[in-house]
Amino acid sequence: MDVPGILHADLDAFYAAVAVLENPSLVGKAVAVGSGVVLSCTYEAREFGVRGGMRVVDARARCPHLILVEGVFGSYTEYSRTVFDIFESYTPFVEPLSIDEAFLDVTGSVHLFGSPADIARRIRRDVRKQTGLAVSVGVTGRKFLSKIASQVAKPDGMIVVQPGQELEFLHPLQVSHLWGVGPVTERKLGELGLETIGDIATTPIDALIAMLGSAAAHHLHALANNHDPRPVERTRRARSVGAQSALRPERRTMEDLLPILQRLTDRVASRLRAKGRSARTVTVRVRFGDLSSVTRSATVRSPTASTAALMAIERRLLQKVLDRYPKHEITLLGVSTSGLGFDEPIQLAFDVDDDALGGGTPHEIGSRALDESVDEVRRRFGRDILAHGSDLLSERTDFSDGLAEVMIKDD
Amino acid sequence: MRIRAERDDLADVLARAGRAVSTRSPLPILQGILLEVSGGRLTVTGTDNEVTVRTYLEVEVTEDGRSVIPARLAAEAVRKLPVGAVTLASNEGEMEITGGGPRFRLREMVADDFPKISDVAMDDSIQVDGGQLIRALSQVGIAASTDDARPTLTGVLFEGEGDSLRLVATDSYRLGVRDLDGIKTEGSKIVPYRALRELGRTIGSGSMSILLGDREAAFVTADGRLTVRVIDATFPNYGQLLPDGHSNRLTVDKEALLEAVGRAALVAEDHIPVRLAMHAGGVELNVVRQEVGEETEFLEGEYVGDDMTIAFNTRYLTDGVNAVDDEKIVIETSDPLKPGLLHGAEKTDFQYLLMPVRL
Repeated sequence: MDVPGILHADLDAFYAAVAVLENPSLVGKAVAVGSGVVLSCTYEAREFGVRGGMRVVDARARCPHLILVEGVFGSYTEYSRTVFDIFESYTPFVEPLSIDEAFLDVTGSVHLFGSPADIARRIRRDVRKQTGLAVSVGVTGRKFLSKIASQVAKPDGMIVVQPGQELEFLHPLQVSHLWGVGPVTERKLGELGLETIGDIATTPIDALIAMLGSAAAHHLHALANNHDPRPVERTRRARSVGAQSALRPERRTMEDLLPILQRLTDRVASRLRAKGRSARTVTVRVRFGDLSSVTRSATVRSPTASTAALMAIERRLLQKVLDRYPKHEITLLGVSTSGLGFDEPIQLAFDVDDDALGGGTPHEIGSRALDESVDEVRRRFGRDILAHGSDLLSERTDFSDGLAEVMIKDD
Repeated sequence: MRIRAERDDLADVLARAGRAVSTRSPLPILQGILLEVSGGRLTVTGTDNEVTVRTYLEVEVTEDGRSVIPARLAAEAVRKLPVGAVTLASNEGEMEITGGGPRFRLREMVADDFPKISDVAMDDSIQVDGGQLIRALSQVGIAASTDDARPTLTGVLFEGEGDSLRLVATDSYRLGVRDLDGIKTEGSKIVPYRALRELGRTIGSGSMSILLGDREAAFVTADGRLTVRVIDATFPNYGQLLPDGHSNRLTVDKEALLEAVGRAALVAEDHIPVRLAMHAGGVELNVVRQEVGEETEFLEGEYVGDDMTIAFNTRYLTDGVNAVDDEKIVIETSDPLKPGLLHGAEKTDFQYLLMPVRL
């Protein structure tokens, strides 16, 4: 039988690390990425107690010399893609958890590349060499355990837990390492004197149920005893595909926003098509100068991945926002698609209505040929070979082209 | 105002006029109904500014007057009184509703705030059998859109065609066409289906006068009148959608088909279609839903044409089959990606054109 090898690979302080790579003068300094809220920070900043999710004001209070930088989202996707390509060169079983972490099942790859621990070492080396980034890896036989191991291994480390030694590794750790233990649960557990994972493992399940309820109790008890049968899911389905672009705070008309909307839609739609998906629900998000934001969504009868069809829906949604908030400064425009289907049957529609939205309309069916051609040309000659006229002719009012971030969410 | 009437009669006119009232109206006055008493008659008006329903009742009048009271509450209050005579009496801003002991006092709204709605003159109106019209509207109405973003398609087209009135509705996925012979009218108007579907429950199904004006359509019976703002738009050119002729023709028993599609619909979610594989001797219905299961059955029938499989949304198909008023139903098809046409084997005054689902 093969040695079960499940890796959890997690890039260290990803956003901050990319910022440092792109600006070598930041090396060795306390750097945080974000505006308003810290998205990510270097380990130098962490030493002062700065954490992701913290308000920038609070972070500065703890670390007055903190250097705050803006995110460069285009680069993030580039780096992420390179890293995932490396993962996939070792195993086809890669389950992305986010832009910077994934589970890898390398059980079937050992005859090619050596033991799971060897593969983890090679991945760390490749990532370092090709991107300059540090990736921490946990190597065990179970998903949740590998995830814990990679967190313990940080920064820039790796932990291998051999079969038979799982409980030995797991039990001394703080309860907060377990999936599903947030500050509230941690406090509840602490009140009962349960501080380590071993404490949970040895507590009778009934006592846990009384405290946490049945579902949570069974979940934690199972994990604490190293039960986690979930396999690595290569085909894990994205629940949404979206893109957004930060903008300089200004009042904007539909005319100003259309080229940006077009560019975002182009990215999202081509991403959907590349994944063979089509979307039933479309959401437009607008953030204002005061950081408040509004969203408007529409759900269509038949899903679509057509750039033109999605654009028509989003345009209508955006118009609603602009009608409602005509005088607000806009600092971010985002689009997101969800209700993703795969190869779904399409309800066809009569050609009766220019306002028809969604899949199956004659207009949408017609636009597919164009989309296919665009995708094919880009496959051969690169993404930037084609752009919409509105995009080329408009003045750039967003920060930079690379700032449009493609977001793929699993939850 | 001060009147007396039988509870059931009063509850009836209040409730019917109240159907035009939207409880979610942003204007408080529109959540009320207007009561007007003069000439021995009570007139009740409810409106949402688009649709207006007016009902009438002969009552015992002590004092004429006008009053606006909360529509829903007033109708329910009267309905829940003991059976027998009910008195409505307006006094110092309150409407007292009494009968058989209980006494409601409802705060009146400002009657002058109620929209001024005058009755359009019914000259040039056309006369129809209300029951027949209502049945015909329900046949095509299922094809009307409920999507407010596409207002034109939420209406039913009334179109004069020689000696017949043609009713048409489409939500762009299906199209219903019904011809009512012997009704002579001219021009065409689009009337919101959400108002038309209330005809039977507001003004009844007796002999009916219809006036299709440029701004409003009015429907009048002995029991009341319903007026609605017409949709000012051009209806899609549906004529081009109706095929000249189909190559394949399936004839099956209507009830058997309804039951079969009903079973298929159990397995299908809304967006999962039922496949109809048609060949000599009948049709095989099949629906497959991944991760759930499937259903298959064979339905005997007559089939003329090439073997063909076409898929339809189960709800749309059920709607259409239901609407056909005949024992045998005909499904004409030509191509799996082109619409199918449903009608009765004998009665062809109703046609239902349905776009298929591409698998």
